[in-house]
Amino acid sequence: MIHHHLSDEMILAYAAGSLSAGQAMVVACHLDICPACAARVAEAEVIGGALIADVEETAVSDDLFNQILVDVDEAQSFPEPERTGASASGDLSSSSYLDGRYVPRLLANMIGDDFAAVRWRTVGPGIRQFVLPVPSSEGEKVRLLKLSPGFVTPDHSHHGSELTLVLKGSFSDDTGRYRVGDIQDAEEDMHHQPMADTEEDCICLVCTDAPLEFKGVITRLLQPIIGI
Amino acid sequence: MTAGQLSAMLVALGEHHDRGAFRQLFDHFAPRLKSFYLKAGTNPQMAEELVQETFTQIWRKAHLYRPDKAAASTWIFTIARNQRIDRLRSEKSFVYKDEDFFASKLVSDEEQTTEVHRNELVERVSKAMALLPSNQAEIVSMAFYDEATHAEIAQKLSLPLGTVKSRMRLAFGRLRNILSEVEA
Repeated sequence: MIHHHLSDEMILAYAAGSLSAGQAMVVACHLDICPACAARVAEAEVIGGALIADVEETAVSDDLFNQILVDVDEAQSFPEPERTGASASGDLSSSSYLDGRYVPRLLANMIGDDFAAVRWRTVGPGIRQFVLPVPSSEGEKVRLLKLSPGFVTPDHSHHGSELTLVLKGSFSDDTGRYRVGDIQDAEEDMHHQPMADTEEDCICLVCTDAPLEFKGVITRLLQPIIGI
Repeated sequence: MTAGQLSAMLVALGEHHDRGAFRQLFDHFAPRLKSFYLKAGTNPQMAEELVQETFTQIWRKAHLYRPDKAAASTWIFTIARNQRIDRLRSEKSFVYKDEDFFASKLVSDEEQTTEVHRNELVERVSKAMALLPSNQAEIVSMAFYDEATHAEIAQKLSLPLGTVKSRMRLAFGRLRNILSEVEA
């Protein structure tokens, strides 16, 4: 059961295609597990359709349609996409939600479906990360973060935004408790100290669009080393 | 053509690659899609290439179209949006690439809607869009046509980011109210 959903402005931006690459990826991973938000995206797409229906017309070249017919006749020899995309090529094309962990399809395509096989790098006490090899937008980073049980991340604020999707375990901060499938959009100027709040590791997919700024002197000194 | 007729054309195209239906869909949507791509900042030649690619996709994917899940214009918008991302913003094409709303759980099955509802929805949303306060309509159109992020919109309009987000929320809220009226 998902308790933390996407905001209306994120839904609208995803439907418009106007989110940055990393944010779009995290949003897509949430949509895969959250039918409620997916239905809202479908609603927002109605707006896109209405805009296309109402836009002024621009004349197209006379032979454009014939060129398209040539293209589709050539394409006839290739197989068409199957209706059931999810089951077409085995496990890696579909999201798996097993044993209290969630591996989104987009992620499984990159890292497989086993978090234990990820090449985690320790970045500080109780915190490990794996920076995902995704083509991100400028200034943006998408990573997996693994917090040890009871580990409190240093108090930090954001210049930009931090979009977090829980994939395993759970964390809590002042705004609530986040469990598998929940998404948090930490706004600019927000201070928070997420803490993995059960006996197990908490694994999250996180997109940041500017380096995080930590509050304490020690953590600020650590920051260039930690690299978050 | 009405939304209902366009849906019927798309179904005919999906069922037996009806070329007459394909031509009618082209006549209706191609000049609009060309405007859509021009608004994204392409030159006329590239806009036509994108229209050409979009219609090839429509031909190939029409059998996936479900009239009870989306109006023709909604479905074609998603294909056009993905095509635009593929060509102009390829860094995020991996997210939108294989998206197939009708095969996945993205549109939940328990949602009781019909084709008539879907098409009525588009017409009412169109009317409601025209009634949005201009400062909300402007932001919605910058997001959908210019593909501007919230931060870019804030910068272009010299507005605080929070104002951009709240206007988007208000616009979407208003349109969603209309949607729930139709579905009720």
